[in-house]
Amino acid sequence: MEEVKAKMNSKYYLAWAKDEGIRKKGANGGFVTATLVSALENDFIDVALVVEKKSVYEGIPVLTSDPEVVKECAGSLHGAPVNLTKYVVEHAAKKRIGLPVKPCDARGIIEQAKRRQVNLDNIFMIGLNCGGTLHPLRMREMAADFYGLDPDSVVREEIKEGKIFLVSEEEGGEEKEKWIKIDELEAKGYGRRDACKSCITKIPTMADLACGNWGVPKGEEKKTFVEVCSEKGGAIVENAVESGYVEMEEAPGKGVETRNKIEAGMQKLAANLKERMDEVSALSRSERFEFYVDALKDCIHCGACKEVCPVCACEEDAKCLGTNDERDSYAISMYNLLRIFHLMDSCIHCGQCEEVCPVDIPLTLIQRRFSERMQRRLRYTPGMDVTEKPPLYETELRWSAGAE
Amino acid sequence: MIRSLGEREEEWEPKILAFCCNWCSYAGADAAGLERRQVPPTIRVIRVMCSGRIDPAFVLMGLLEGADAVLVTGCHIGDCHYVNANYKTRNRYEFLKEFVDELGLEPERLWLRWISASEGSLFAEMVRDVTEKIKTIGPSPLRSEWKK
Repeated sequence: MEEVKAKMNSKYYLAWAKDEGIRKKGANGGFVTATLVSALENDFIDVALVVEKKSVYEGIPVLTSDPEVVKECAGSLHGAPVNLTKYVVEHAAKKRIGLPVKPCDARGIIEQAKRRQVNLDNIFMIGLNCGGTLHPLRMREMAADFYGLDPDSVVREEIKEGKIFLVSEEEGGEEKEKWIKIDELEAKGYGRRDACKSCITKIPTMADLACGNWGVPKGEEKKTFVEVCSEKGGAIVENAVESGYVEMEEAPGKGVETRNKIEAGMQKLAANLKERMDEVSALSRSERFEFYVDALKDCIHCGACKEVCPVCACEEDAKCLGTNDERDSYAISMYNLLRIFHLMDSCIHCGQCEEVCPVDIPLTLIQRRFSERMQRRLRYTPGMDVTEKPPLYETELRWSAGAE
Repeated sequence: MIRSLGEREEEWEPKILAFCCNWCSYAGADAAGLERRQVPPTIRVIRVMCSGRIDPAFVLMGLLEGADAVLVTGCHIGDCHYVNANYKTRNRYEFLKEFVDELGLEPERLWLRWISASEGSLFAEMVRDVTEKIKTIGPSPLRSEWKK
């Protein structure tokens, strides 16, 4: 006990699962799985929300209280870019949920907590460092065109050191690994999703724990670099160590530096890519208007982008749906105008709206164009701090204190 | 330009939508009339109980329905009949301003003015200003095809 307490003084650790099976299956030592199992068994959470792997292109969110199911779901799954926020909202009122989160999941959950949809006390978020996810369809095309693999034979994928690895299972049962640099793929329009290419939130320090392999010393793979970001996170990890699910050691000082260096590098790359992908910034004012009208005119008002949006907390009686009428033939429909308007301060740029859009409207770009300039002016980043109210709900803004 | 039969060649007149607060600018518009000031006939006034009642959706719908400019008017900061609702108006206006600008409309299509009940002259002056400005930049591209 004393020993554990002494260990918990620092914020950064290297940790891994004690159970060999979990350690082998997990991408980086199975720390995340082991912690979730420990939290389940020691009654910190009632259920765990994990993504069950159907294939490398498909994952299904599963709510379970069975540690065996959690163990089954270990390992990374970049090809199923699902945002778990709405699943959490659906169940968090009755149960305490523990789940592994990408930065955009964590930010979505925090935005929902600001809107009183969930109580963060009931949620245990294990953050995962995220370099980006892949679109399943693009990934299939990639596997066929660039890797020369049969898309259905791919059994595993991994993103590390700036490369995308695909592992395929050949007929004889032997595995074949191939990799291509992300830069090369992205120069040809493939690689990560658009939202991920330009995302600058790589380390989820807003979650309870932030885990990943950045900062793990060479030769010590199968360990996870863990940052403890909240008291709750610390308590659960401490308990996992005490009850023998997890082993940990203090992280080497250099690890933190390495991790920050990797993050800074990726953020710089993201900023460059964002500029390159923004086709609207070169347009004049009237051309910009034409672009938006043209992009949004295909909308069939199915409401899928609203349904999946991790920030939106309105239900069927939402204003964007209520004011919209199919019989109007406005240049841009009320639905789109209001959705964009309401997300100006709160969009977390996760790109889920574009993912589900049946007519492929470039919503990632449009939402980012509108919200980024507002958020920069407000000096507000959504999804970081649950105590910060969304500025649209404020009576007075920080920067509009002086009267006109 | 093809015109329907019987339609006369006329100078284009802008359509301006004004939201006026019951407690100040609506009375201000009244005062402008009482003082017999010249107000261009381009303006359509909608009375609301407070400028804080003006949902951004109203403004956007006004633009879509054919307004060339939308004026949001309310009581001076600190004079609100409902304590602080015009602070909220100002907040939303800042959002709307950025929104309209990014959408590719001219920023002059959106106005926020604080006008009290006694400022009839200010009201008349504002309407003249807006009309003149909109005449130079032309009709709004956001209005529907057949409403031009």
